[in-house]
Amino acid sequence: MGVSVLGDLETRIEGAPDGLHLAPRTIDDVSGILRLATEKGTAVRVWGGGTHQRYGMEPSPGIVMSMASLNQVETWEPDDLTLVAGGGAGVADIENLLSTRQQTALLPETPGEGSLGGVIATGRSSLKRARMLGTRERVLEVTAVTGDGRVVRSGGRVVKNVSGYDLHRAMVGAFGSLGVIVSVCLKLWPVPPDAATIRLTDIGSSSSSNRPLALLETKAGIDLFVWGTRSEVEAVVDGSGGEATPGLHWPADPVGEFRWSLRIPPASVGGAIELVQPWDFLAVHGVGELRLASNSVEPATEIRHWAESLGGALVLVDHPGAEPPIDPWGTPPMTAEYQRRLVAEFDPARIINPNRLPGGI
Amino acid sequence: MPVFFGYRDSVSAREDFRRLLGTDRVLDDPLERHIYAKDASLMRGNPDLIVFPKTTEEVAAIVEIANRHSIPVVPRGAGTGLTAGASPVNGGVVVALTTMNDIELDIANQAAWVGPGVINLDLSRQTKQFGLHFAPDPSSQSACTIGGNLANNSGGPHCLAEGSTTSHVLGMEFVSAAGEILRVGGLAPDPTGLDLRGLLVGSEGTLGIATRILVRLLPLPEDVRTLLLDFPSVEAAARTVSDVIAAGMVPAALEIMDQRMVVAVENWLGGGLPVDAAAVLLAEVVGSTASVESEAAAISQIGTMNGCGTVVVASDETERNLLWKGRKSAFGAVAQLAPDYYLHDTVVPRTRLVEAMTGVYEIADRYRLTMLNVFHAGDGNLHPLIAFDSSDLEVAAKVRQAGDDIVALCLGMGGALSGEHGVGVEKRDLMPHSFSALDLDAQARVKDVFDPEHRLNPSKILPSGSRCFDFGGVRREVPEGAWV
Repeated sequence: MGVSVLGDLETRIEGAPDGLHLAPRTIDDVSGILRLATEKGTAVRVWGGGTHQRYGMEPSPGIVMSMASLNQVETWEPDDLTLVAGGGAGVADIENLLSTRQQTALLPETPGEGSLGGVIATGRSSLKRARMLGTRERVLEVTAVTGDGRVVRSGGRVVKNVSGYDLHRAMVGAFGSLGVIVSVCLKLWPVPPDAATIRLTDIGSSSSSNRPLALLETKAGIDLFVWGTRSEVEAVVDGSGGEATPGLHWPADPVGEFRWSLRIPPASVGGAIELVQPWDFLAVHGVGELRLASNSVEPATEIRHWAESLGGALVLVDHPGAEPPIDPWGTPPMTAEYQRRLVAEFDPARIINPNRLPGGI
Repeated sequence: MPVFFGYRDSVSAREDFRRLLGTDRVLDDPLERHIYAKDASLMRGNPDLIVFPKTTEEVAAIVEIANRHSIPVVPRGAGTGLTAGASPVNGGVVVALTTMNDIELDIANQAAWVGPGVINLDLSRQTKQFGLHFAPDPSSQSACTIGGNLANNSGGPHCLAEGSTTSHVLGMEFVSAAGEILRVGGLAPDPTGLDLRGLLVGSEGTLGIATRILVRLLPLPEDVRTLLLDFPSVEAAARTVSDVIAAGMVPAALEIMDQRMVVAVENWLGGGLPVDAAAVLLAEVVGSTASVESEAAAISQIGTMNGCGTVVVASDETERNLLWKGRKSAFGAVAQLAPDYYLHDTVVPRTRLVEAMTGVYEIADRYRLTMLNVFHAGDGNLHPLIAFDSSDLEVAAKVRQAGDDIVALCLGMGGALSGEHGVGVEKRDLMPHSFSALDLDAQARVKDVFDPEHRLNPSKILPSGSRCFDFGGVRREVPEGAWV
């Protein structure tokens, strides 16, 4: 890729830090930019919807690459429950499209401007994950461009596949370190005809559903989410004794200067809620995920220590300053050295979102 | 006295293993080596030794000894695999993990730590009293191990709604090729850093040896309806499956058996299966009583629109178990027809099931082979089974060619090389039909990161030359019976 072509791709990304802003139009453009960046040793910050740019350590300054132009839905097979879309496709746009045929990709409910590639790169999941599992289980195939410009595909466009190593699963939550996500095939799910949100008086009432769609707790109360046939939903509502509202009314993520992700064993959610009381929270029962927000870093150290003692983590997702005030990740995983070597195979000059991962990878 | 073929200092290696495990847990007599030379596929390797560790530390020590003596290490569960994944094609030491079968339940977290040697069905039997079960249920679940399920990312009929093994492995302790004891994942969701679980599950023991596995347990369904629908053609049954999915339903299971298979099963089981039908569809829906009744009615209606003759609904657990016994023992029933069978495992998009099945039968007719079909139709996961006598070399050659044609047919429809049996040796050299050179190179890099010496289960999954240089260091034997 010559300089003149690069010039054609130059753009201005709202909210992005200073540097060369580029908007590739094709996968070949992405490959060319990354190859060039590797040759020059220039860091590339990948920009999806810009909603999670402060997740992890701040990458080195350099190129900011917007994925906004790779936003096409390539194929949608409603009768096969699969969809292929570009990494820059908006999560809300995808879900809106799918809703026209009563389908869903089970992506996060309140994505804002978030992109498909961004959701996968950051590993964020739907609040329905206790019942429907996380984003990792929805991804059937990923095409990614490695740091040195190789276009690599893993998985396939069928719902069952065990052909080789599942790199596409490892790319979920990898922050682009195994390649910039340019195309994704998702496993879809039919949306049942009826749904309700039930405000419970106590957590024990949730047993009216054998496997609820979600059981969420915030400072406002406990909500049971259920979907299914009308009679199925009515049976759960009647058994719960709670106040039901038709439809699924997802709570917004907690708001604060600092946003956190607490990950603990599912049975420890009750204990976590007691511990995080100074902070605002959204707890996903049955999973062990709490989304937290605070205006101070205190008492993050105590919460992190407790979470890590249970095999979990407290992760800093967003912060107000230029640099995170504490290590965003906590203790690095014991496989950090393998992770470092793996990333080196896919991003040898370590230019894609460098430093984002735990352990300074 | 058996001889380590080609590996230096063989006597010393055997003595090292015996010092570690004692003579009882190190087998090397010709009969044992013959038994452990293959899994349930048709390919045979040639193990030098078989060892039976009981602890993670022993597995780590075994790997260290193997490293010291430059011996391949081949992990093995129950040996029910169908792609020669556990076949020691380069010789070396087979690490039989069947005695590592502890189960540690964590009911509060709906999970369990299990040894790799735990038999799949034993786990669900133990958890039933707590209203929980392990979702992956391969047809071999009464024999296959959780370690083997992890290695192959095994599926089963009920993976249609719940996903394959990878969706149910929360974490694991494993021994690396360097002999380290490492742990990934855990009860907490979303482990920080790269989520290596997805790479390790389905890696067929080529990246590490899982020694403890943390699995997700799901609540048993509140209610269940199991239906058997008979059809005048396989295409009509397949069309029903496509129509059910297109109607916005994802039942717990949608399985098709063709007439030849139904007859074989009925001869053995005597369960009253409709032997006159060209195909049967076994459908199961789970959930609340209200939902299973409405979904069962909808499936019956779609079946009737596609020409279904009779719909039988299992009236109780005994009838339900009988229907599933027929489905899950189908492969064994084939022994009535021929001494050998070759079972394929490919996937097509569900919208192309009818077309795929038509093509599969045409291939069997072209080669004049006896083909039976029993498959996970809801996933588009085909299992064409060819019954034959492998001593007839002419027929065996046709079986091979027909197998290649089936793979080509399914890949041509945008399908996958394997849905749940893995790649092993059987499909290793077909991988370039599914992936580009760069895709394979990426996978080869994964192998090199975890196992740079290619000590763990060598010659599996990736064809030689997947990286720009050949693997080197490991002899690439063509195993006896290799088809590809």
